[in-house]
Amino acid sequence: MNDEIVIRATDFGKRYARHAAVCGLDLAVRKGELYGLIGPDGAGKSSLMKAVAGVLAFEEGRLEVFGLPVGSEREAERVKGRLGLMPQGLGQNLYGDLSIEENVDFFARLRQVPAAEAAARKERLLAITRLAAFRARPMKQLSGGMKQKLGLVCTLIHAPDLIILDEPTTGVDPVSRRDFWAILAELIADQGLTALVSTAYMDEASRFTRMSLLHEGRVLAEGAPQDILALAPGVLVQCRVEPQLEAISRLAADFPQCEAMGPDIRLFAAGLDEAGARAAVAQRLAGLPCQRLDVMEPELEDVFVAMLSRQGAAAATAQPVSAAVANAEGLAIEARGLSKCFGEFIAVGDVSFQVRQGEIFGLLGANGAGKTTAIKMLTGILPPTRGEGRVAGADMKQAGALIKSRIGYMSQAFSLYLDLTVAENIRLYAGIYGLDRRRRDSRLGWILDMAGLHGHENDLASSLPMGLRQRLALGCALVHEPRVLFLDEPTSGVDPLGRRAFWDILFRLSRVDGVAMLVTTHYMSEAEHCDHLALMFAGKVVADASPEAMKQEVIAEAGQLYRLQADNAAALVRPLQEHGFANVSPYGAALHVLTREPERLRKTLAGMGVPADLRERPIAMEDVFVHRVSQLEAASRKGQP
Amino acid sequence: MSDFLLWWRLALRRFAVMLVKELKQLGRDRVLLAFIVYAFTADIFLAASGVSLSLNHAAMLVQDMDRTPQSRELAARFAEPHFQQGGVVTRDAQGLAALDRGEAMIVLSVPPDFGKHLQKGEPVAVAMQVDTTNSVLGFLATSYAQEIVARFGLESAMRRLGLAGGAAAELPQAANEVRVWYNPNQEDSWFMGISEMLNIATVFAVLLPAAAMVREKERGTVEQLIVSPLTPFGILFPKVVSMTGVILCGVALSLFLVLMPVFAIPAKGSLALFFALSGLYVFTTAGLGLFAATIARNLAQAGMLSILILAPMLFLSGAWTPPEAMPAWLRGLMFVSPLHYYLDIAFGILLKGQGVTELLPAIMGMTAIGVGVFAFGLLLFRRQFD
Repeated sequence: MNDEIVIRATDFGKRYARHAAVCGLDLAVRKGELYGLIGPDGAGKSSLMKAVAGVLAFEEGRLEVFGLPVGSEREAERVKGRLGLMPQGLGQNLYGDLSIEENVDFFARLRQVPAAEAAARKERLLAITRLAAFRARPMKQLSGGMKQKLGLVCTLIHAPDLIILDEPTTGVDPVSRRDFWAILAELIADQGLTALVSTAYMDEASRFTRMSLLHEGRVLAEGAPQDILALAPGVLVQCRVEPQLEAISRLAADFPQCEAMGPDIRLFAAGLDEAGARAAVAQRLAGLPCQRLDVMEPELEDVFVAMLSRQGAAAATAQPVSAAVANAEGLAIEARGLSKCFGEFIAVGDVSFQVRQGEIFGLLGANGAGKTTAIKMLTGILPPTRGEGRVAGADMKQAGALIKSRIGYMSQAFSLYLDLTVAENIRLYAGIYGLDRRRRDSRLGWILDMAGLHGHENDLASSLPMGLRQRLALGCALVHEPRVLFLDEPTSGVDPLGRRAFWDILFRLSRVDGVAMLVTTHYMSEAEHCDHLALMFAGKVVADASPEAMKQEVIAEAGQLYRLQADNAAALVRPLQEHGFANVSPYGAALHVLTREPERLRKTLAGMGVPADLRERPIAMEDVFVHRVSQLEAASRKGQP
Repeated sequence: MSDFLLWWRLALRRFAVMLVKELKQLGRDRVLLAFIVYAFTADIFLAASGVSLSLNHAAMLVQDMDRTPQSRELAARFAEPHFQQGGVVTRDAQGLAALDRGEAMIVLSVPPDFGKHLQKGEPVAVAMQVDTTNSVLGFLATSYAQEIVARFGLESAMRRLGLAGGAAAELPQAANEVRVWYNPNQEDSWFMGISEMLNIATVFAVLLPAAAMVREKERGTVEQLIVSPLTPFGILFPKVVSMTGVILCGVALSLFLVLMPVFAIPAKGSLALFFALSGLYVFTTAGLGLFAATIARNLAQAGMLSILILAPMLFLSGAWTPPEAMPAWLRGLMFVSPLHYYLDIAFGILLKGQGVTELLPAIMGMTAIGVGVFAFGLLLFRRQFD
């Protein structure tokens, strides 16, 4: 690898008014690297990327791109021709009414690429991204994954040496995400590119050559994925113990990173090896029947959380929600053949499912799969075209004030009144739900406890960090103690620590208070927290079962999951498929293979002369999703020749 | 009975918290607040003191081809404050060029032998070229000029008959004795100031509720409200009430701080009646804002839609053009502009001192149209949630 430095930041800092977005950041990206910036919203990723691209002025430190300083507008002009920037947001830099081809041509002319060169490069890029077949389709009719691939083509049309991609995969379904990363890896290897890429998905981190973990404008850790994993040694333990609540409270004393995952408990045993962790857990759980206990290598997210906790950034641990275990009987939510059409477009088609009291039900799918539309029909915001949504036995179309006062709703992007303070927001919703003064004050106290908002009562909601804003929104949705709670992408943009604290609250609400919850998310890792899942794809529910059952079904169909570590693993995909291993997909620098014949796989690899490290892994929801959707896509391809 | 009371208690509590919320939000929006204060004070001051409908210092050129005492006397009569002489031209083309370039508004051409013809007692004409790009000013310039030339002609004729000075008074003449009512000094500032105040109130009556509603749409908070037990009416009623209150404060600000002290507008009638009817007007006009907020997806769209709604409303109100001057079919349309009635009411109360009896037709017209507009806005607003 070439050691030439493409980007070098020294003590870089950027402020917005009084707020420091980035501060004291050092970073060096070498030529040919796929360099990752990882962190939640507000960590400073976008500020750094825009400054590197020369579109954002900064105050502190020094920034060099291709060895040239980019402190001023004029200096930045000298490097702009050699770099490409893809801003955050699906298709944000593209023109919705122009076709794929017109978009590419526009960017080529904008960058003054000679016509013949542009035409040749366009054909090659459209072929690699498999967009060539849709070249006449207007951009706004593309799926999220296709928009991002088109964005990549437009960013690459002037053959830059450096590309800067700001959260290119956020909101894109897991299949398209894997596709996007594969294409990016191919292009980088093929064209000697350097790429600076940011992501909010921790599980994508293993795909980077090197990376920086950012948190609140500072670098928490820097290096190759294995270097970062080595920073917080330990193992991951996943076990199933009854009763779950008691087991968690026992384990949490020794293991701060302990959380419920549906019926399971997942914990990070810091500093312990496998034997040590088994012993420590067994000792704590003495007397409780343990149905299953797996020990695994930790993921980057566990390390990130461990490092954050070490910094003392511990999120307020949630208080027990209430004393009495509520009655959790009966159906809470029911969708019966729910459909919504916008003109010709079917946003939701014939969706049916049931949610019982006290259950956390996850509605899973990519942006545009129909999750939000479904939730809006169930809460009575949107009238369904066909079918009905029932909550607590009543049709939401005719729902009166009585039903409405039994449900709580937390919409996407935490719709709070940002110009009101924390206490004012809570009091407003208390008043809307008709709480009297005494009850209002007691609920205010409860919400401040629950969300860890003490000391922030008189802060404007706009001044809160995302994690607190999210818990305030949850508090507002819970002010009237609803029996049914709808949560639409409640965790997007929140850091892993905040996400964990949030899920802990939801878990207690369901187990202790018997609240029924319908949660939508595009984070596959969060699906594990749910008791029951419905997988949505293109407006339809394609699977409806518990996470465990979904996994077992995939295992029964396609076999166990194995992680294959090898040099240049991506090159093994095709040969393995030719040997009859149909379910092979790149996962970071490794491969994930679903197979019932691990021995044949080992032999095949040996036969190919590849020294490979093959390990069985518990199957994750993302693998389930990718498997199901690949099947569907293959079926629909066969269906329409 | 207790159910009924409970329902009212809940409804009132909801109304109160929503009202407080709206006022707090508006109070924290410094930019919007500054804009409201500016519009109701400085803008009205500028409109009342700056905008004048009279002809002042119209630039004038004279092409004197006669050069006699008579021609010089005629030219000299075009004097301040209406006219301002800007020099002489010698050729036709020069005068035309000056008009084209906008350097002169009027060119007066006196033909050769003008004085000679007058002395002989022969009829003679002068030529007058007027730039009437601005039709009001052009019209005024033409009529003043006609009057000046006619008077000059009359006086020359009388002089020739030997009837100079006091003898003229003995001629049989009809004199026009005018009594000016309601605005004794005929101050443009009264008319302009009050019109502007009503226009501003109208603009905010449409814009503020639309903005408040669309902001909730943009932030997504409206969904939170729809899911709650609030009805659509319960969501928008507190908004319209609070915005009406704010606009009435603005009207009070401009009336008591600008129009009455600075321009000495008398406010002859009952101020309580004026504010009560203003409240009714602003509240019902908010229906148009709700209409805009229903269709628009964001603040920019709502703003543009409001302008589209406001432009014909202001134009048809009679504030800018007297209704009598409009073609008959447009005059018919004016009866559907609520501002038209509000204008009658405001001028009636503030300048004429009219009471309910005199204003009854206007009040009834405004109420009927206002209630219709509000019902229309409410209907559309509700329909988007069904």
